[in-house]
Amino acid sequence: MSLLEIRNLEINYRSRNGLARAVDRVSLSLDAGDTLGLVGESGCGKTTVAKAVMRLLPEKKALVRGEIRFKGRDLMKLDWKEIRKIRWEEIALISQSAMNALDPVHRVGDQVMEPMIYHRNVSKAIARNRMAEVFGLVGLNYDRAFDYPHQFSGGMKQRVVIAMALMLEPDLIIADEPTTALDVLVQDQIIHQIKELLSRLNHAFILITHDIAVVAETCRRMIVMYAGKIMEYAETEAIFYDPYNPYTLGLQNAFPSVKGPKRELISIPGFPPSLMDPVGGCRFAARCPFSLPRCLKEEPALSEVGPGHFSACHRHVDVAEIRERARRFETWLRDEAA
Amino acid sequence: MIITLWVLITVVFFLFRIVPADPTAMFVGAALDPVSQKMLKEMHGLDKPKLVQYVVYLNNLLKGEFGVSIRTNHEVIGMLRDKIWNTLFLMGISMCLAFFLGVGIGTFLAWKRGTAIDAAGVTLFLAFRSAPEFWTGMILLVIFGYGLKWFPIGLMLTPGAIYSGFWDKYFNWDFVHHLILPVFTMTLFYLATPMLVTRNSILDILKEDFIELAQAKGLSDTRIMFRYALRNALLPVITIAPLMVGFAIGGQVLLEKVFSWPGMGRELVDAVSGLDYPVVQAAFLFMGAVVIFGNFLTDVLYRILDPRVEIG
Amino acid sequence: MQTRRFLGTLSGLKRFYREQKEIFRGEKLSIAGLIILLAFVLLAIIGPHIAPYGSFEVSVEKSGFVPQDKSPSAKHLFGLTRYGHDVFSQTLTGARTAVVVGLVSALMVVLVGGNLGLIAGYKGGWIDEVIMRITDIAYGIPFLPMALVLMTLMGRGAWNIVIVIVVLFWRTTSRVIRSQVLTVKERAYIKSAQVAGASDLRIMYRHIAPNVLPMTFLYLSFAVGWAVIAEASISFLGFGDPDDVSWGQMIHQVFAAQMFREAWWWYLPPGFCIVLLVMSTFLIGLAYEKVVNPRLKND
Repeated sequence: MSLLEIRNLEINYRSRNGLARAVDRVSLSLDAGDTLGLVGESGCGKTTVAKAVMRLLPEKKALVRGEIRFKGRDLMKLDWKEIRKIRWEEIALISQSAMNALDPVHRVGDQVMEPMIYHRNVSKAIARNRMAEVFGLVGLNYDRAFDYPHQFSGGMKQRVVIAMALMLEPDLIIADEPTTALDVLVQDQIIHQIKELLSRLNHAFILITHDIAVVAETCRRMIVMYAGKIMEYAETEAIFYDPYNPYTLGLQNAFPSVKGPKRELISIPGFPPSLMDPVGGCRFAARCPFSLPRCLKEEPALSEVGPGHFSACHRHVDVAEIRERARRFETWLRDEAA
Repeated sequence: MIITLWVLITVVFFLFRIVPADPTAMFVGAALDPVSQKMLKEMHGLDKPKLVQYVVYLNNLLKGEFGVSIRTNHEVIGMLRDKIWNTLFLMGISMCLAFFLGVGIGTFLAWKRGTAIDAAGVTLFLAFRSAPEFWTGMILLVIFGYGLKWFPIGLMLTPGAIYSGFWDKYFNWDFVHHLILPVFTMTLFYLATPMLVTRNSILDILKEDFIELAQAKGLSDTRIMFRYALRNALLPVITIAPLMVGFAIGGQVLLEKVFSWPGMGRELVDAVSGLDYPVVQAAFLFMGAVVIFGNFLTDVLYRILDPRVEIG
Repeated sequence: MQTRRFLGTLSGLKRFYREQKEIFRGEKLSIAGLIILLAFVLLAIIGPHIAPYGSFEVSVEKSGFVPQDKSPSAKHLFGLTRYGHDVFSQTLTGARTAVVVGLVSALMVVLVGGNLGLIAGYKGGWIDEVIMRITDIAYGIPFLPMALVLMTLMGRGAWNIVIVIVVLFWRTTSRVIRSQVLTVKERAYIKSAQVAGASDLRIMYRHIAPNVLPMTFLYLSFAVGWAVIAEASISFLGFGDPDDVSWGQMIHQVFAAQMFREAWWWYLPPGFCIVLLVMSTFLIGLAYEKVVNPRLKND
């Protein structure tokens, strides 16, 4: 049985102007110890999905439908007491910390030890031991625990937040844009740290980011999302070597690679669609250089294009041609939309 | 800080002496014969130029002499000493209550934000803030003092009572009994400000990322409210404390009139109407000192509470 | 040329009106406050004219007897004071004093404080230092005591009250506006305006001022409330204008006559009016607060 199974998750946000469809029938599954990356532009729904798992979405504003099964139990049906028990013990969150994840008026150590003391009712001494352990795992000096957050650099704060997540050895760790707010060199360090931790420990891991390169280095499987829908879903290697979805191709183009052959950076023109009153057809059709009239009317379903490899597109048959054209700069210019 | 106090004293000093009416007329009865007038003027040092008078005054202040009241001819300090304590007790207790209750209610309302309780609470205390203290005081006096006879109708202690000393005078049930209504009135009025500031501050903090993380950690709402939200929210609330003190001193004047409380406020009003400068000057000095002390306390408290500010 | 300027101002006003409407949308409490305030403004205008009696009119009965201390009746809706005056008429007339003092003081407080804050914040340097020092000193002065001293020296009168309020209240606005200006000053379009050679005056009033406008309106609303209470307090202590009727003064008379035990009809109406008027301004302030600090919004 998989550790986490999400079925037909639909999340609508209530706003002044109506309902915004943030997540549109997303399904995914994750086994124990496995690693999954959720990739997409800002606003594509990836963070919303993650927060939904921990039921962190504001109850009155976000209407959630669908099933989120964790270790067999539907999280949407549990009451608050049980949810709070699961939080951190079984599912932990690593957030973007460079800004604000740590409370400025309490010492770092207190904040790191808190979940352990609170959930397991252990003594401070025991918590301190465990804290020393996790600090070691992330490469932090134990003495720093007595400092306040404002005395830490961005990278160190990120390590603190990672350490904090490891405290109770949760079955699942969700990392939400852990490297986005950091500068490039520090980003690299943190990614290495995460990789190391993943290989040493066997927590299941979901990484949420818009940076496809980070996912490439850390996750075994990957989901590409756009405007609340899943575009492509497969093992990371498969997506990189065998991409089927035009959106994925566009994403790959937009990220520079120091190693590969020199090429121009190509970005996808246009903007993600409004999430209110979603129009029919494929969400990406308006920006897709390969869209056909059919794409604007009929929404493509996720179909299996390879072993464990799914993509939502009407033009899978033409994938070879599409891949070829995607490599060319002119394809992505506005007026070339075929 | 001291500069403020100094400027205040100077302003008051010269304010009274720029008055069109002959200031010396207050000190010296016009009906007296010229010789006596001259003697009195010399006695009070009024024959010297204003600047000299000013320096003399400052000098005396440093020595601890506050001058002699024009109306009563008693030493100012004797007159005011007791009154100062009376006012301090009333104001101090009311302000502390207003602050603590305000913060508590503000936190509660922030928790219940968006509900009817929130709107009702805010409206209710805004109403109390909109009602002039003296009016509320009068109404409470009528209902609880005259009507239900639960509380005495004014004054600080039962007339005719004799006390053996400072502690005996203030730490007894009679005093507390007289204290309740005025304190209640004042607290009701002043509590709206810290309440609103706390509520807003907490609402602000609740949108911060670390609050979300605290929720993700599985902590209970109460714990998050008090340990994280309130602790952070207190900082801006503390900065308004000196402002409250500043206003409260003024408010004292009103309440002391309504409740016939023998404090500085009442003395001040009488002194101002009677153009009794020495008393007025001393009163301002005292009030300024209280405000400054309040500022200083607030500063210290803030430094303790916010680790981002370096101590010292 | 002039038509263009005129049309420009007209469209500017229209835009202003629309913006204000947006601020109040959905804010039931604030809209209620606005309605109440407007009601009082109306009362201020027509009050003295619709009052059944003059404020100081004493009705003499046929027997030559002057009725006093009467509780409400059909002839005198709110009863009579100890001096034979009609409470209802006094309450209606008093609205004018309260509203005028409140609005005028508040406007001037904000004009003085706002401009000082703007200049101090934008110019910085010694101008800032000087203005802030003066503000600090002003902060240390307790309002009511100083107000009493000033009233004694200047003499009684409604306009003197306005002056006193303005002299002592501008401090809060100036400090607050100044800190806002400090933030706005660093924004990119201000820097570009500076680089483009715009004069200080232009930048301050055309670029920065509109941004601190919500904050200004917030303090304007509060200032009206404070001013009304200040006027009532000063009058209550007996330093009000003897020729004018004001709510605070009515309450002063009740207290002086020691009639508050019985004559509830005399001080309850003016008190309630003060409560309503001041409440309305605070409620209006709530809406502007949400603009200044969007985190307070309910959605």
